Amino acid sequence: MMNMRLVRRDTPLAGGQVRAFVVGLLIALLFGAVLLILSGHSPITVYSKMFDSALGSPRGWSATLTRAVPLGLAGLAVAVAGSMGMWNIGAEGQIIAGAIGGAWIARIAPELPGPVLIPAMLGAAVLGGAFLALGPALARSRLGVNEIITTLMLNEVAIRVVRYLVNGPWKDPEGNNFPIAPELPEQSALPTLFERANVGVLIAAVVVIGFGLWASRSAWGYELKIAGSSEKTAEYVGISMRAKLFTVLVLSGAIAGLAGGIELTGSSSRLVEGVANGYGFTGIIVAALALMRPSGVAAVAVALGAVQIGGEAIQTQGVPSATSNILQALILFGALTAAVFSEYRLVRSAAVPSGAAA
Amino acid sequence: MADSAATPYAVELDGIWKRFPGVIANAGACLRVRPGSVHAVLGENGAGKTTLMNVLAGVYLPDEGDVRLDGEDRHFSRPADAIAAGVGMVHQEFRLIPTFTVAENVALGASPRLISRSAIEKDVAELAERFGLATVPGREVWQLSMGERQRVEILKALWRDAKVLILDEPTAVLTPAEAEELGRITSTMAADGRSIIFISHKLDEVTAFCDEATVLRGGATVAESLPVETLNGAMLAELMVGEATEVSQRRTRTAPVAEANALDVSEMWVTDVHGRNVVDGVGLTVRQGEIVGIAGVAGNGQRPLADAIAGLNSNGVGLVEVAGKDVSALPPRARNAAGLAYVPEDRIGVGLAPRMNVVENAMMRAYRDLSNGPFIDRDAAEAHAETLVEDYNVKVGQMHAPMAALSGGNLQRLLVGREIAGEPTVLVAAQPTRGLDVQGVAAIQRILLEQSASGVGILLISEDLEELFALSDRLLVMHEGRIVGEFDPDVATRSEVGAAMAGANAEADA
Repeated sequence: MMNMRLVRRDTPLAGGQVRAFVVGLLIALLFGAVLLILSGHSPITVYSKMFDSALGSPRGWSATLTRAVPLGLAGLAVAVAGSMGMWNIGAEGQIIAGAIGGAWIARIAPELPGPVLIPAMLGAAVLGGAFLALGPALARSRLGVNEIITTLMLNEVAIRVVRYLVNGPWKDPEGNNFPIAPELPEQSALPTLFERANVGVLIAAVVVIGFGLWASRSAWGYELKIAGSSEKTAEYVGISMRAKLFTVLVLSGAIAGLAGGIELTGSSSRLVEGVANGYGFTGIIVAALALMRPSGVAAVAVALGAVQIGGEAIQTQGVPSATSNILQALILFGALTAAVFSEYRLVRSAAVPSGAAA
Repeated sequence: MADSAATPYAVELDGIWKRFPGVIANAGACLRVRPGSVHAVLGENGAGKTTLMNVLAGVYLPDEGDVRLDGEDRHFSRPADAIAAGVGMVHQEFRLIPTFTVAENVALGASPRLISRSAIEKDVAELAERFGLATVPGREVWQLSMGERQRVEILKALWRDAKVLILDEPTAVLTPAEAEELGRITSTMAADGRSIIFISHKLDEVTAFCDEATVLRGGATVAESLPVETLNGAMLAELMVGEATEVSQRRTRTAPVAEANALDVSEMWVTDVHGRNVVDGVGLTVRQGEIVGIAGVAGNGQRPLADAIAGLNSNGVGLVEVAGKDVSALPPRARNAAGLAYVPEDRIGVGLAPRMNVVENAMMRAYRDLSNGPFIDRDAAEAHAETLVEDYNVKVGQMHAPMAALSGGNLQRLLVGREIAGEPTVLVAAQPTRGLDVQGVAAIQRILLEQSASGVGILLISEDLEELFALSDRLLVMHEGRIVGEFDPDVATRSEVGAAMAGANAEADA
């Protein structure tokens, strides 16, 4: 009887993340081509349209990078927690909390000049995200309460709060009874970088890439690595697991909160219920594709952004949205599977060694 | 053995071999248990007791050898087969569901269909009554003491009508009163015709509760079915630890031990999760340049003592002084900075992080000194690792390959080297040569002797009497959390030390 099981590689494959993504992509495109042919589309036309609209022009790049901002920050948030073996499933709620924080600053000080208002809003967004992660962080580090449950449930709380605000006290009186907050002051919009991309792209790039460098080069990052790799070794060396768990989960929330702030000041002109748009959950996929390493998040976020933008673009080409979604899902599956195989390998094993053959 | 055909043994394990990658757990082990008897299985940690019991309980298939119950050949491919054949096992860690009642735990998975709760409770109460297992079937398990939980485990096995009951170190979690109670229960079960296999380290229990004893060492049986009346502490220690060969490589001390103390420990107490004192008011002193050995059967408090000295045990209280400086209130890092180095028993997983690479593992003590501001100087870290690798002859493939790829001896050389690179005053080394090959052992022992010669005080905790006799200036024996004897290795005999390790009164035996 043959069984297959996954065995962790002693050393992850060199360049595993990149290879994983490329291999996964190719396999997915192959399966996708079959699907497209079956549904009467030319794979070449569809794929080239996907590529053109996402990466074929400055305009495409601007859309892709703009999409990569919330994906990358949410992915970083999840990966930071993941490097300590924690799952922050609450990035979605933390994005909302960040957006609420930013919007609140704009409400109380709408007259501030842009160079003051924008940093204040982003700062409040960071604090908002951190605030939502505070409870789970305390519960986890002090009492050992599983953070998956607490962060997940707080998503619901954040969604209810933003719904209450845009339907109640913060509802736009001139919004034709839509559940939306009033438009933000004009000077709160992030300056444009090129085409549709704004400065948020730069901020996110600095945060994501900077954090990757910080984590891999600093003594703090080294301690984080020990703590995430072997808890008992960390205690032996004298690293406080409590402090690390707490800091990392709050930091994770803060990063997700920043995503909410940039979404608010960059892409939308007002606080709406759907400000997080599922980015917090997609961030989990980004982090998984980056194998939970902060250093891999930036590339994965851009690649995933391109897949999403490309997938949305082909819907204008008569490809049904269902097919487009299947294509995107295939690419994700392929990349995720490949990512797993860069860390694990498949071995065959006989179920039980039949020993007592006397 | 000749009469085995006439009156079959309840359990017969014959020539059992079981190999795991890199380890031979059982090398031709044998065990014969008479029906209606309580049979002790003795041996050090790693002697293969648990593996052998897992073979009997159907957890492992043996690579070679025969399993017979009542003279009949058996091939258990899974635990359920063994249970069906009447073999029950009470593991060291209980396998109960805390929020279920006693009766629910007992009947779980072993009642044919849904029956009423009160009917099960009544049946369980009757069974408990019959074997003198005081319990309340309707109580939930989380409310019970460890002794009560153990009785639930035993009831589980009896509920499945186990004819053979394996108790894996059953008294480890019990109070003395509960242990006596267990003794009564086992004899009731034996009187009912069942056979009990009783795994233990403790001589007094074995003589009190058991009829016969089998001793394992290195995966093989070294003494089979000895009547317990013939056992004594010295003999048992000799069987468990090895032959009393002449010590040839006894160290010769070139420089006298200094007067100054490297390590003072006094009034050290450590409690475990059940509130028992696993370290019971220990005091000891290591002078500079001295090697003080601690002998003892595994699980007598050596590990918590070492952890508590290093500041890793939050349930430990006691005074620790390094070179006269009180470090009792300091966290582990500050104790290390004060001159206390520690080679923990688990080199992989505590002393070293297996998935991190050689450079990262090498700088665990020094990384703050290797940093410029918040950033680690990578070149300096690399150089630090290379120095350790060269000085201690660590064979590494790649400096950036995970630690886990290295062999045991290389791991330990890197770990020991890292710990003494900080030029400590005292080195606490727990089982530093366990599991190493001959060269690996020799290399580590040489390093310890060099360090001692250069004035480092060494507290050497080991289960290897050979090693302790060869290296120690003084030899302490630990039993049930206390230091029960101090010996001069130049004049003491192995029997004296062995008797103290087994808990017998050292003076009476000497």
